[in-house]
Amino acid sequence: MTDLFWDLSISHFLALAAVLFAIGVVGALMRKNALIVLMSVELMLNSANLTLLAFARQHHDVKAHALAMLVIAVAAAEAAIGLAIVVGVFRSTRHANVDRLTTLRH
Amino acid sequence: MDSLLLATAQAANVTTAPGKAQVLFFWLFALLAVGGSAFMITRRNAVAAVMSLVGTILAVAALYVMLLAHFLAVIQVLVYAGAIMVLFIFVIMLLNKEEDEPWALRGLLGKGVAGLGLAYLVARMVSVLWSVGTRVGEEPWSVEQMQSFGSTRDVGRVLFSTYLFPFEAVSIVLLIAVVGALVLARPMAKREGK
Repeated sequence: MTDLFWDLSISHFLALAAVLFAIGVVGALMRKNALIVLMSVELMLNSANLTLLAFARQHHDVKAHALAMLVIAVAAAEAAIGLAIVVGVFRSTRHANVDRLTTLRH
Repeated sequence: MDSLLLATAQAANVTTAPGKAQVLFFWLFALLAVGGSAFMITRRNAVAAVMSLVGTILAVAALYVMLLAHFLAVIQVLVYAGAIMVLFIFVIMLLNKEEDEPWALRGLLGKGVAGLGLAYLVARMVSVLWSVGTRVGEEPWSVEQMQSFGSTRDVGRVLFSTYLFPFEAVSIVLLIAVVGALVLARPMAKREGK
Protein backbone atom coordinates (compact mmCIF):
# COMPACT_ATOMS: atom_id res chain seq x y z
CA MET A 1 0.00 0.00 0.00
CA THR A 2 2.81 2.41 0.80
CA ASP A 3 4.49 1.29 -2.44
CA LEU A 4 1.32 2.16 -4.26
CA PHE A 5 1.43 5.56 -2.66
CA TRP A 6 5.10 6.45 -3.04
CA ASP A 7 6.11 4.72 -6.29
CA LEU A 8 4.62 7.22 -8.67
CA SER A 9 4.14 5.63 -12.07
CA ILE A 10 2.61 6.58 -15.40
CA SER A 11 -0.20 4.21 -14.43
CA HIS A 12 -1.19 6.57 -11.62
CA PHE A 13 -1.86 9.30 -14.17
CA LEU A 14 -3.67 6.88 -16.49
CA ALA A 15 -5.89 5.53 -13.70
CA LEU A 16 -6.69 9.06 -12.57
CA ALA A 17 -7.67 9.94 -16.15
CA ALA A 18 -9.92 6.86 -16.29
CA VAL A 19 -11.64 7.87 -13.04
CA LEU A 20 -12.17 11.44 -14.29
CA PHE A 21 -13.58 10.07 -17.55
CA ALA A 22 -16.01 7.83 -15.61
CA ILE A 23 -17.17 10.80 -13.51
CA GLY A 24 -17.73 12.71 -16.75
CA VAL A 25 -19.78 9.84 -18.19
CA VAL A 26 -21.92 9.68 -15.05
CA GLY A 27 -22.50 13.43 -15.21
CA ALA A 28 -23.41 13.37 -18.90
CA LEU A 29 -25.84 10.48 -18.43
CA MET A 30 -27.46 11.37 -15.13
CA ARG A 31 -27.85 15.14 -15.12
CA LYS A 32 -30.81 16.93 -16.65
CA ASN A 33 -29.32 20.39 -17.02
CA ALA A 34 -27.88 20.72 -20.53
CA LEU A 35 -25.12 23.01 -19.26
CA ILE A 36 -23.86 20.43 -16.78
CA VAL A 37 -24.00 17.77 -19.50
CA LEU A 38 -21.76 19.99 -21.65
CA MET A 39 -19.39 20.53 -18.73
CA SER A 40 -19.17 16.75 -18.24
CA VAL A 41 -18.22 16.39 -21.91
CA GLU A 42 -15.46 18.96 -21.37
CA LEU A 43 -14.25 16.93 -18.39
CA MET A 44 -14.12 13.78 -20.52
CA LEU A 45 -12.06 15.56 -23.19
CA ASN A 46 -9.72 16.77 -20.45
CA SER A 47 -9.18 13.27 -19.11
CA ALA A 48 -8.46 12.03 -22.64
CA ASN A 49 -5.81 14.74 -22.89
CA LEU A 50 -4.31 13.63 -19.58
CA THR A 51 -3.99 10.09 -20.97
CA LEU A 52 -2.32 11.40 -24.12
CA LEU A 53 0.21 13.41 -22.17
CA ALA A 54 0.97 10.53 -19.81
CA PHE A 55 1.80 8.29 -22.77
CA ALA A 56 3.78 11.14 -24.32
CA ARG A 57 5.97 11.26 -21.24
CA GLN A 58 6.37 7.50 -21.20
CA HIS A 59 7.43 7.30 -24.84
CA HIS A 60 9.46 10.55 -24.98
CA ASP A 61 7.21 11.59 -27.85
CA VAL A 62 6.21 15.20 -28.20
CA LYS A 63 3.78 14.40 -31.05
CA ALA A 64 1.03 13.65 -28.53
CA HIS A 65 1.36 17.22 -27.30
CA ALA A 66 0.38 18.46 -30.77
CA LEU A 67 -2.60 16.10 -30.74
CA ALA A 68 -3.63 17.31 -27.28
CA MET A 69 -3.42 20.88 -28.55
CA LEU A 70 -5.80 19.98 -31.41
CA VAL A 71 -8.15 18.30 -28.91
CA ILE A 72 -8.24 21.51 -26.85
CA ALA A 73 -9.11 23.52 -29.99
CA VAL A 74 -11.91 21.09 -30.92
CA ALA A 75 -13.18 21.24 -27.32
CA ALA A 76 -13.36 25.02 -27.55
CA ALA A 77 -15.32 24.78 -30.82
CA GLU A 78 -17.63 22.18 -29.26
CA ALA A 79 -18.28 24.40 -26.24
CA ALA A 80 -19.13 27.40 -28.44
CA ILE A 81 -21.54 25.47 -30.67
CA GLY A 82 -23.03 23.49 -27.76
CA LEU A 83 -23.72 26.60 -25.72
CA ALA A 84 -25.25 28.34 -28.76
CA ILE A 85 -27.55 25.34 -29.22
CA VAL A 86 -28.49 25.44 -25.51
CA VAL A 87 -29.31 29.15 -25.79
CA GLY A 88 -31.37 28.49 -28.93
CA VAL A 89 -33.28 25.63 -27.28
CA PHE A 90 -33.89 27.77 -24.20
CA ARG A 91 -35.28 30.54 -26.41
CA SER A 92 -37.86 28.31 -28.02
CA THR A 93 -38.80 26.04 -25.08
CA ARG A 94 -37.99 28.21 -21.99
CA HIS A 95 -36.04 25.40 -20.38
CA ALA A 96 -32.73 23.57 -20.82
CA ASN A 97 -33.78 20.18 -19.52
CA VAL A 98 -32.46 17.38 -21.70
CA ASP A 99 -35.09 14.93 -20.40
CA ARG A 100 -37.95 17.12 -21.60
CA LEU A 101 -36.53 17.58 -25.09
CA THR A 102 -38.40 14.74 -26.75
CA THR A 103 -39.46 16.35 -30.03
CA LEU A 104 -37.45 13.93 -32.13
CA ARG A 105 -38.62 10.89 -30.18
CA HIS A 106 -42.15 10.78 -31.59
CA MET B 1 9.16 22.00 -8.66
CA ASP B 2 10.52 21.02 -12.03
CA SER B 3 13.52 23.27 -11.71
CA LEU B 4 14.17 21.49 -8.43
CA LEU B 5 14.01 18.18 -10.27
CA LEU B 6 16.39 19.52 -12.90
CA ALA B 7 18.80 20.68 -10.24
CA THR B 8 18.89 17.25 -8.62
CA ALA B 9 19.27 15.65 -12.04
CA GLN B 10 22.16 17.91 -12.87
CA ALA B 11 23.80 17.24 -9.52
CA ALA B 12 23.51 13.50 -9.74
CA ASN B 13 23.67 13.35 -13.55
CA VAL B 14 21.35 10.34 -13.51
CA THR B 15 17.64 9.68 -13.86
CA THR B 16 15.00 11.88 -12.32
CA ALA B 17 13.12 9.81 -9.81
CA PRO B 18 10.26 11.75 -8.23
CA GLY B 19 10.97 13.17 -4.84
CA LYS B 20 8.58 12.87 -1.91
CA ALA B 21 7.27 16.37 -2.50
CA GLN B 22 6.38 15.56 -6.09
CA VAL B 23 4.49 12.44 -5.05
CA LEU B 24 2.60 14.36 -2.40
CA PHE B 25 1.75 17.06 -4.92
CA PHE B 26 0.49 14.40 -7.34
CA TRP B 27 -1.91 13.05 -4.73
CA LEU B 28 -3.00 16.56 -3.75
CA PHE B 29 -3.84 17.49 -7.33
CA ALA B 30 -5.41 14.11 -8.06
CA LEU B 31 -7.65 14.58 -5.03
CA LEU B 32 -8.51 18.10 -6.16
CA ALA B 33 -9.35 16.88 -9.66
CA VAL B 34 -11.53 13.97 -8.56
CA GLY B 35 -13.16 15.94 -5.76
CA GLY B 36 -13.82 18.93 -8.01
CA SER B 37 -15.38 16.83 -10.74
CA ALA B 38 -17.50 14.86 -8.27
CA PHE B 39 -18.61 18.20 -6.79
CA MET B 40 -19.41 19.44 -10.28
CA ILE B 41 -21.82 16.67 -11.23
CA THR B 42 -23.66 16.84 -7.89
CA ARG B 43 -24.28 20.60 -7.64
CA ARG B 44 -27.78 21.95 -8.11
CA ASN B 45 -26.50 25.46 -8.69
CA ALA B 46 -24.87 25.76 -12.12
CA VAL B 47 -22.46 28.52 -11.04
CA ALA B 48 -21.10 26.31 -8.25
CA ALA B 49 -20.68 23.53 -10.82
CA VAL B 50 -18.69 25.83 -13.12
CA MET B 51 -16.47 26.96 -10.24
CA SER B 52 -15.67 23.39 -9.22
CA LEU B 53 -14.93 22.54 -12.85
CA VAL B 54 -12.47 25.44 -12.90
CA GLY B 55 -10.78 23.93 -9.85
CA THR B 56 -10.64 20.53 -11.57
CA ILE B 57 -9.13 22.07 -14.70
CA LEU B 58 -6.47 23.92 -12.73
CA ALA B 59 -5.57 20.69 -10.93
CA VAL B 60 -5.33 18.86 -14.26
CA ALA B 61 -3.09 21.67 -15.57
CA ALA B 62 -0.78 21.08 -12.59
CA LEU B 63 -0.71 17.39 -13.50
CA TYR B 64 0.23 18.37 -17.07
CA VAL B 65 3.25 20.18 -15.63
CA MET B 66 4.20 16.98 -13.79
CA LEU B 67 4.08 15.19 -17.14
CA LEU B 68 6.49 17.84 -18.50
CA ALA B 69 3.82 19.41 -20.73
CA HIS B 70 4.46 22.99 -19.72
CA PHE B 71 3.14 24.59 -22.88
CA LEU B 72 -0.10 22.63 -22.76
CA ALA B 73 -0.56 23.44 -19.08
CA VAL B 74 -0.48 27.14 -19.93
CA ILE B 75 -2.86 26.62 -22.88
CA GLN B 76 -5.15 24.62 -20.60
CA VAL B 77 -5.37 27.45 -18.08
CA LEU B 78 -5.83 30.11 -20.77
CA VAL B 79 -8.36 28.31 -22.93
CA TYR B 80 -10.31 26.24 -20.42
CA ALA B 81 -10.18 28.13 -17.15
CA GLY B 82 -10.18 31.44 -19.02
CA ALA B 83 -12.23 31.38 -22.18
CA ILE B 84 -14.54 28.36 -22.03
CA MET B 85 -15.54 28.86 -18.41
CA VAL B 86 -16.34 32.55 -19.01
CA LEU B 87 -18.56 31.40 -21.88
CA PHE B 88 -20.35 29.00 -19.52
CA ILE B 89 -20.80 31.74 -16.92
CA PHE B 90 -22.31 34.03 -19.56
CA VAL B 91 -24.78 31.39 -20.70
CA ILE B 92 -25.77 30.68 -17.09
CA MET B 93 -26.35 34.41 -16.69
CA LEU B 94 -28.66 34.34 -19.73
CA LEU B 95 -30.72 31.39 -18.56
CA ASN B 96 -30.31 31.21 -14.82
CA LYS B 97 -32.86 28.69 -13.70
CA GLU B 98 -32.38 26.27 -10.84
CA GLU B 99 -33.43 22.73 -11.48
CA ASP B 100 -36.31 21.38 -9.42
CA GLU B 101 -34.85 17.88 -9.60
CA PRO B 102 -31.27 17.72 -10.83
CA TRP B 103 -30.88 14.01 -11.34
CA ALA B 104 -32.54 12.29 -14.27
CA LEU B 105 -34.04 9.38 -12.35
CA ARG B 106 -36.55 8.11 -14.89
CA GLY B 107 -35.84 4.64 -16.20
CA LEU B 108 -33.79 3.79 -13.14
CA LEU B 109 -33.50 0.11 -14.10
CA GLY B 110 -31.81 0.87 -17.40
CA LYS B 111 -29.54 3.36 -15.72
CA GLY B 112 -28.66 0.81 -13.04
CA VAL B 113 -27.64 -1.64 -15.76
CA ALA B 114 -25.70 1.15 -17.47
CA GLY B 115 -24.00 1.97 -14.16
CA LEU B 116 -22.95 -1.63 -13.65
CA GLY B 117 -21.62 -1.72 -17.19
CA LEU B 118 -19.73 1.51 -16.56
CA ALA B 119 -18.23 0.15 -13.32
CA TYR B 120 -17.10 -2.98 -15.17
CA LEU B 121 -15.65 -0.87 -17.98
CA VAL B 122 -13.75 1.38 -15.58
CA ALA B 123 -12.40 -1.61 -13.65
CA ARG B 124 -11.15 -3.20 -16.88
CA MET B 125 -9.75 0.11 -18.10
CA VAL B 126 -7.87 0.77 -14.86
CA SER B 127 -6.49 -2.77 -14.79
CA VAL B 128 -5.21 -2.44 -18.37
CA LEU B 129 -3.77 1.01 -17.71
CA TRP B 130 -2.23 -0.23 -14.47
CA SER B 131 -0.22 -2.82 -16.34
CA VAL B 132 1.67 -0.03 -18.13
CA GLY B 133 3.57 0.44 -14.91
CA THR B 134 6.54 2.57 -15.97
CA ARG B 135 7.76 4.55 -13.01
CA VAL B 136 7.93 8.29 -13.47
CA GLY B 137 11.58 9.15 -13.78
CA GLU B 138 12.61 5.59 -14.42
CA GLU B 139 13.29 6.45 -18.03
CA PRO B 140 16.80 7.74 -18.63
CA TRP B 141 16.33 11.41 -19.38
CA SER B 142 19.26 13.59 -20.15
CA VAL B 143 19.04 17.05 -18.70
CA GLU B 144 18.75 18.61 -22.18
CA GLN B 145 15.88 16.28 -23.05
CA MET B 146 14.08 17.17 -19.89
CA GLN B 147 14.51 20.88 -20.49
CA SER B 148 13.25 20.80 -24.07
CA PHE B 149 10.49 18.18 -23.78
CA GLY B 150 7.06 19.77 -23.93
CA SER B 151 8.44 23.27 -24.38
CA THR B 152 6.81 25.71 -26.76
CA ARG B 153 9.65 25.21 -29.24
CA ASP B 154 9.33 21.42 -29.31
CA VAL B 155 5.56 21.41 -29.58
CA GLY B 156 5.64 24.16 -32.20
CA ARG B 157 8.18 22.31 -34.29
CA VAL B 158 5.96 19.21 -34.42
CA LEU B 159 2.80 21.24 -34.89
CA PHE B 160 4.15 23.20 -37.85
CA SER B 161 5.88 20.31 -39.62
CA THR B 162 4.31 16.88 -39.15
CA TYR B 163 0.90 18.14 -38.07
CA LEU B 164 0.65 21.22 -40.26
CA PHE B 165 -2.44 20.00 -42.12
CA PRO B 166 -4.44 19.05 -38.97
CA PHE B 167 -3.43 22.38 -37.47
CA GLU B 168 -4.80 24.31 -40.45
CA ALA B 169 -7.88 22.08 -40.55
CA VAL B 170 -8.61 22.76 -36.89
CA SER B 171 -8.34 26.49 -37.52
CA ILE B 172 -11.07 26.11 -40.15
CA VAL B 173 -13.11 24.11 -37.62
CA LEU B 174 -12.78 27.02 -35.18
CA LEU B 175 -13.84 29.50 -37.88
CA ILE B 176 -16.91 27.40 -38.69
CA ALA B 177 -17.67 27.14 -34.96
CA VAL B 178 -17.59 30.94 -34.62
CA VAL B 179 -19.92 31.44 -37.59
CA GLY B 180 -22.17 28.59 -36.47
CA ALA B 181 -22.45 29.91 -32.92
CA LEU B 182 -23.39 33.34 -34.27
CA VAL B 183 -26.06 31.87 -36.57
CA LEU B 184 -27.48 29.60 -33.84
CA ALA B 185 -27.59 32.23 -31.12
CA ARG B 186 -29.20 34.94 -33.25
CA PRO B 187 -32.73 35.83 -32.14
CA MET B 188 -35.45 33.65 -33.66
CA ALA B 189 -37.61 36.48 -35.01
CA LYS B 190 -34.82 37.99 -37.08
CA ARG B 191 -34.02 34.65 -38.67
CA GLU B 192 -37.65 34.05 -39.63
CA GLY B 193 -37.98 37.60 -40.92
CA LYS B 194 -35.36 37.00 -43.58
